[in-house]
Amino acid sequence: MSASPDAAETALRVADQLKGGDGPWDVFGESIRRYELHLNGDRVEMLRGPITVEGFGYREIRPSGDGVRIGFAASCDLTERGIARAVQAATRAGEYASFPAKGVELPYELPRGLNVETVDPSLWGRPAESIEAYVSALLAPFSGRPDPVPSFGSVRVTLSETTLANSAGAFGRYPRTTADLEFAIRASGGPEGAPAGEYWVDRRSTRLDPARIGAEASAWAEKAKDARRAAPARSGSVPVVLPPEVLADILPTTLGFRFSASATLRGMSLPVGELLGHPSLTLRDDGLLPFGLASAPWDDEGTPRACRTLLEAGRAAEPNADLLHGNATGRASTGSARRDTPMAKPWYRFPLAPSVQPSTIVLAPGGAGSDAELLESIGEGVWIEQLGQAFPDGVSTAFGGEIRLGYAIRGGRLAEPIRGGTVGGVALAGPGQPSLLASMELIGREPRLVEGLQAPTVGIRPLSISGP
Amino acid sequence: MSELTELDDLLARLLRRIEPRTRYAEVMAQVSSGESIRHDRSSTVVQPGAEIRGAVFRAWGPRGWCEVGGSQLDPDALEGYATTLLDRLGYGGGAADPPGVAATTRGEAATKSSRPIDEMTLSDRLDRAKSWYAWATEVPGVKNAFVSLDCRSESRLFCSTAGARTLQTVDRIRGSVVALAVEQGKVEYDYTGSGGTGGAEQLDGVTPERVAHVAREAVELLQAPEAPSGKQRVLLDPSAAGTFAHESFGHGAEADQMVRMRSYLAPLLGTEVGPPEVTIVDDGSYAGGWGSIYFDDEGHRSGRTVLVDRGHFASALQDREAAALLGRPATGNTRRADCLSRPFVRMTNTFVEPGKMTFEEMVREMGEGVVLESCTSGVEDPLGGQMQIKVKKGHRVRGGEIVGILPSMALSGKVLEFLRAIRGVGPAEDFRMSPGFCGKGHTDLLPAGTGGSYLLSEATVGPA
Repeated sequence: MSASPDAAETALRVADQLKGGDGPWDVFGESIRRYELHLNGDRVEMLRGPITVEGFGYREIRPSGDGVRIGFAASCDLTERGIARAVQAATRAGEYASFPAKGVELPYELPRGLNVETVDPSLWGRPAESIEAYVSALLAPFSGRPDPVPSFGSVRVTLSETTLANSAGAFGRYPRTTADLEFAIRASGGPEGAPAGEYWVDRRSTRLDPARIGAEASAWAEKAKDARRAAPARSGSVPVVLPPEVLADILPTTLGFRFSASATLRGMSLPVGELLGHPSLTLRDDGLLPFGLASAPWDDEGTPRACRTLLEAGRAAEPNADLLHGNATGRASTGSARRDTPMAKPWYRFPLAPSVQPSTIVLAPGGAGSDAELLESIGEGVWIEQLGQAFPDGVSTAFGGEIRLGYAIRGGRLAEPIRGGTVGGVALAGPGQPSLLASMELIGREPRLVEGLQAPTVGIRPLSISGP
Repeated sequence: MSELTELDDLLARLLRRIEPRTRYAEVMAQVSSGESIRHDRSSTVVQPGAEIRGAVFRAWGPRGWCEVGGSQLDPDALEGYATTLLDRLGYGGGAADPPGVAATTRGEAATKSSRPIDEMTLSDRLDRAKSWYAWATEVPGVKNAFVSLDCRSESRLFCSTAGARTLQTVDRIRGSVVALAVEQGKVEYDYTGSGGTGGAEQLDGVTPERVAHVAREAVELLQAPEAPSGKQRVLLDPSAAGTFAHESFGHGAEADQMVRMRSYLAPLLGTEVGPPEVTIVDDGSYAGGWGSIYFDDEGHRSGRTVLVDRGHFASALQDREAAALLGRPATGNTRRADCLSRPFVRMTNTFVEPGKMTFEEMVREMGEGVVLESCTSGVEDPLGGQMQIKVKKGHRVRGGEIVGILPSMALSGKVLEFLRAIRGVGPAEDFRMSPGFCGKGHTDLLPAGTGGSYLLSEATVGPA
């Protein structure tokens, strides 16, 4: 399975040029084919592809005094001149850099025999046809219906082959597929006379599933109708229910930095063993989760990916680390080096140097049952269906945003739709202080994988809502 | 730019090869490079920015626009992109004209600067970053500071079968300081920054006084009470006012959203949407603006478009297709994030023109409310006309006086209600432009400047 022979070839060529170089180095190569279909209404507006990208990121780590100098450069100029220029640029940059690590050793081999599911085979084999079939299924519920209607959308598919080679002799590659769906549905009919309502979906996954998308689109159409008749939220500190689609916008970013050796190095570490979350809350970071967006046999430095605990029964565990931050804080790498982040999702990663990032945060299912049972337990409150965007703050862990769509919860059931007002708080605080994690009293039993998070629906008591 | 000019003949030949199968084709080739510096208590990182390069061909085909491209600029690769595009066009693409009028602009331009980036050595830039760090950490209680200094140079060559040929190089630089205060596990920060197209002069906004101010406020934020909730009078600082202009109004004024019937502003074109104090502008030719360009990615010259003229919704931002449908000219706002991304109607530098009311007058006028400062993000809602703006901090106003600092907040409400409730716009001496990045949805990030002076209105505010 190969997108093109050039990813492996590029990494090998760079590696070959560097034989005998000083200090450890690694090369991360990518070879990508990209296909896109853009919709205006239900009409195809633009077909793109293949857009082909081949590039590499080169990193060198050289001892210097009490630490190391790290040089990094990236390029998609694959000529001999381009490779040489990138290496020179990295060396020059390294001369001005400093990092408090010592004796950094790169992996001498990459794990073999780990069968991590990272590819949608039909997408890999027939990308353009798969997109067309998916879009047909997506639009089918709207065929012949005057309202609601699609207002625009796009499906963007990336087929990438990732290659890693380093000075210790490790070399390996693996394929990956990702698919981005953006789709907006407009509801404007009916007797309400109100302005049109919209439900907007923007999500990334590793697969396209035409068998399920029609039913999902039908459900989104109902939500577009609800958006029309929704009223703003009322202010108050109330029980709030957050489905995984909303949590996915909050948890990976707010937890990613603070649960990292990068935060430890910068004096923002979490107290290991202290109670930071509700006692029923357990969080893991699973780099091997089937079809997780960052799942892979090894991380972006070559350390095996793993599933590890971040929070056990509410108590903080050791943070994630990559090779450099692990070394600087007296830990081994946990296989958590990543060139993208849960928040920033570029479709090519070679321009970015590795940093400590979570792969897929897994919130362990709890005892609050199905969504319906969880609603019954909550009784009265607010279900947040969609935020404008939570824009979580990785440093302070503050999060919050406008309620694009929610529902009042009355008598343990979903009631009238809500739109407008804000909801927010902090995800993580010190022991004994209020936070989202500390307030997760109810944890459902039905997890869903949504981008960088696999979680069930959770009930929070309470969260602050601000309405007009 | 020389690497791109060497491609002129080849690209012209490839367009001629494509032309028989389409009524219109164009190509955009790009080379870019840069450098970023990160400095804090623990480490110093210097990274040459990735050398992103490549080309994309676009042609009008039987099913609409069709694009093929990639990250290589050698003749074989470019021939390959053109050949693949021909395959994808088939033989039915020449029957109809694409929507709108093709640009025929011919021109070349490059960023001018009194202190060009390449006259600063890497050592100079690093020294500057370290001095910013020192200014922040001199303040008692500030444990660390994240300093960044980025510069990037990007050249684009655009050619089309309609005869357009534009070549431009845009140099951008920006720096920021995030001052961090930590106490008993709680982390707070405040930031300042500066940037634009040009050279070192764009960093002059990062001063010792400004850095010390945000460092002191970071420490104060550790003890800040929870932000007040509910609808109230709000005074947006220039960063938040600029984000309002961009996210809340500007996205709704992107005419591709109107063509898709996805803009709450579409039926309001030509009507009053706010008080006469309010003028909102998008200006791709703004001198030194972070989002400034010389030509857009359809070959039109960039320029100044008055979106709201003294309260009157005067114009949208149009690409060739939307311009044709609205019966208006293209505004030079078609932008690709890079040569690997598709074009959309995008903003450049979007701002609220300054007014006359002083900051002190506005605080007195509001009586009770909050000042929203240090904007961190905004989200558009083109169809719903709602807004979300988040700020890192603010100040409470009671009895017409500022009485205390507040932590991060989110503002929400209806854009038109907010516009109509505007009671004052700050003066030119408080006007500031901020460098930021704009996505279309959550992707296709590109540089966009936002700006304004203080803006007094009403909205719902809550902790965030």
